[in-house]
Amino acid sequence: MFASGLSAVFGGGNFLMVLLAIVLGTIFGALPGVSATMAVALGLTFTYTMAPVPAIVFLVAIYCSSITGGSITAILFKIPGVPSSAPTTFDGYPMAKNGQAGKAIGVALFCSAVGGLFSAIVMFVLSKPLSAAALAFSQGDLFAVTFLGLSILSVLDMDHILTTIMSGLLGLLLACIGQDPIAGVKRLTFGNRQLLAGIEMIPVLIGLFAVTEVLKQTSSDKRLSAEDGISKGRVNTKMPSFKEMWAIKWVMLRCSIVGTVIGILPGAGATIASFSCYAMENKLSRYPEKFGTGIIDGIAASETANNAATGGAMVPLLTLGIPGGNAAAVMMSALALKGVQMGPLLLTKQPEFLSATFISMVVTNILMVVIAIGIAKVFAQILSIPYSYLGPIIVMLALIGSYSEGGFVGVQIMVIAGVLGIVVKYMHLNSAAIILGLVLGTMCEEHFSRAYVMNQANVFKVLFGTPISAVVISACILMLLSPALRPLVKKLRRQK
Amino acid sequence: MFELFANIFLLVFLVYAYFTHVLEAAVSKSYMKNPSNLMPDVWPKVIIALLVICIVINIIKIFRKNKGNPKFTFKAFYQGSLAFFKSKTFLGILILVIASLILEPLGFIVTSFFILFCYGLLLGEKKIWRLLLISVGVSFLLHIIFSGLLDVTLPRGTVGFLRDFALMLENLF
Repeated sequence: MFASGLSAVFGGGNFLMVLLAIVLGTIFGALPGVSATMAVALGLTFTYTMAPVPAIVFLVAIYCSSITGGSITAILFKIPGVPSSAPTTFDGYPMAKNGQAGKAIGVALFCSAVGGLFSAIVMFVLSKPLSAAALAFSQGDLFAVTFLGLSILSVLDMDHILTTIMSGLLGLLLACIGQDPIAGVKRLTFGNRQLLAGIEMIPVLIGLFAVTEVLKQTSSDKRLSAEDGISKGRVNTKMPSFKEMWAIKWVMLRCSIVGTVIGILPGAGATIASFSCYAMENKLSRYPEKFGTGIIDGIAASETANNAATGGAMVPLLTLGIPGGNAAAVMMSALALKGVQMGPLLLTKQPEFLSATFISMVVTNILMVVIAIGIAKVFAQILSIPYSYLGPIIVMLALIGSYSEGGFVGVQIMVIAGVLGIVVKYMHLNSAAIILGLVLGTMCEEHFSRAYVMNQANVFKVLFGTPISAVVISACILMLLSPALRPLVKKLRRQK
Repeated sequence: MFELFANIFLLVFLVYAYFTHVLEAAVSKSYMKNPSNLMPDVWPKVIIALLVICIVINIIKIFRKNKGNPKFTFKAFYQGSLAFFKSKTFLGILILVIASLILEPLGFIVTSFFILFCYGLLLGEKKIWRLLLISVGVSFLLHIIFSGLLDVTLPRGTVGFLRDFALMLENLF
């Protein structure tokens, strides 16, 4: 089985194509507005003349490297290349501002590789039992898992818990704009037909993170410049030490496991994985107050998880013919174009698909570290450009990203979100919490509505109807109440 | 004071939205038939209700926090607002708003040049000729990379000659 996979990756000119896929995927991922799905879609053009197995090898390489590439601009410019890299900005950008861009990128790449390799192995060994388990998830369980992602609200900014929850709720409300996901009735559009399809996430994300940052820098005395990421004209690519990486071994392990499991769930994917793992690590950390100030644990959590989700997403695709996410759906359509019948029989009749995907993921995740460092160096050089040129270029990249996702309305939403980011700052609200609400809002409502129907309108059964949902929802409630409970626990301890 | 006004504005807006815009069309009869179906207005109404509670608590907190603060006055708010409208941040916002409005009629190249040049000036670039050349160069480079190489469709503009120019550029690559 391995032999067929190895020949699929290294045979003929396939290896060169894998290298090309890694370069393209990393660059696509790093460019704002070119999501992992779009990267895979762009890669489709290269696969028209390929046989099915090399085609999936090529597309898997693009998929994995694009998720990693998203971290480069998230760290250097606070522009998440892909939505799943949004939590990477929380600690990556402060590190870049403190002159540790190289270390931040090094951690992101290494952790991406660890997460990707872990999930590849899990995919290879546990493909069949894992997808059967995922299929057994009820709508209530899926709601519980999505809600788990929302529980990060309690840890995003512990000093302003009320305003953080307000921000999360605002994000959830933004996700309600447009047609409701089940009945298709229009809500909160205020008569604007262009809002019928809802608010595109990417323009809001780019506006709140990138445009707001440029606006803030406009009136700031000290701007992000050469001395932040570069020394004496050379890129500061000082990598993290072995000791530093060893210190976050458990972070990587936990996030690899959780990221892979979330990746397997249909409709979940890399974005939920990275947000959930960031929240989880913040909770488990001995120094939660340092999260968001520029520590490697935060980057490790986000990047390990989103890459682990890539392997997870391949499990239902290969074993059941169900795409775990949008990028997997594009890959599935590419294979369908070549006449490959996806479904449970695929792996029985053509096991080379699983081994080729596995070997491709392993090779990609290893080579990606080296290749992405080279690409990151080129991107980091951009920091040496004076801000009077760099700032407007960032705005232009943001504009292109927003336009490609949402057209003219997308650009207008990006500008509004950029201005909103300034208002958010003055109101002590939290941009990341707004994004989190927006990302998870529709999914949360959809899963809840379906579970509500299936449980005959019994909310208790929706929340606690199965052991999985009961455990996950209880954990969420504890996480959300923890800021209120913590002072009480401290008080009780003192009294003892 | 700004924080207080923003919270009050948000509160009023949410109450208005709750009563008028949560449902903007009738729910179909077939959907209504099943009593187990979750009505489309429930989810946003629950969110708005929770938000209103949070905002009210926040307003109380703002009052408590600023009790006795000499800067917590209408006069200070007025002066702060005036200062904002004279700031570089406001000019930056203005450039972005104009850019988002001219993007459709004038297309990508002109908008890109406008942003790169005007924002460059705002950020204090003194070498005008260099800025002018770089703005033109970067606009074309971005067009070539995204439209020519990555197949991302960029706005061509509705003004005849600008549209023709954009089409010519696309055909070149």
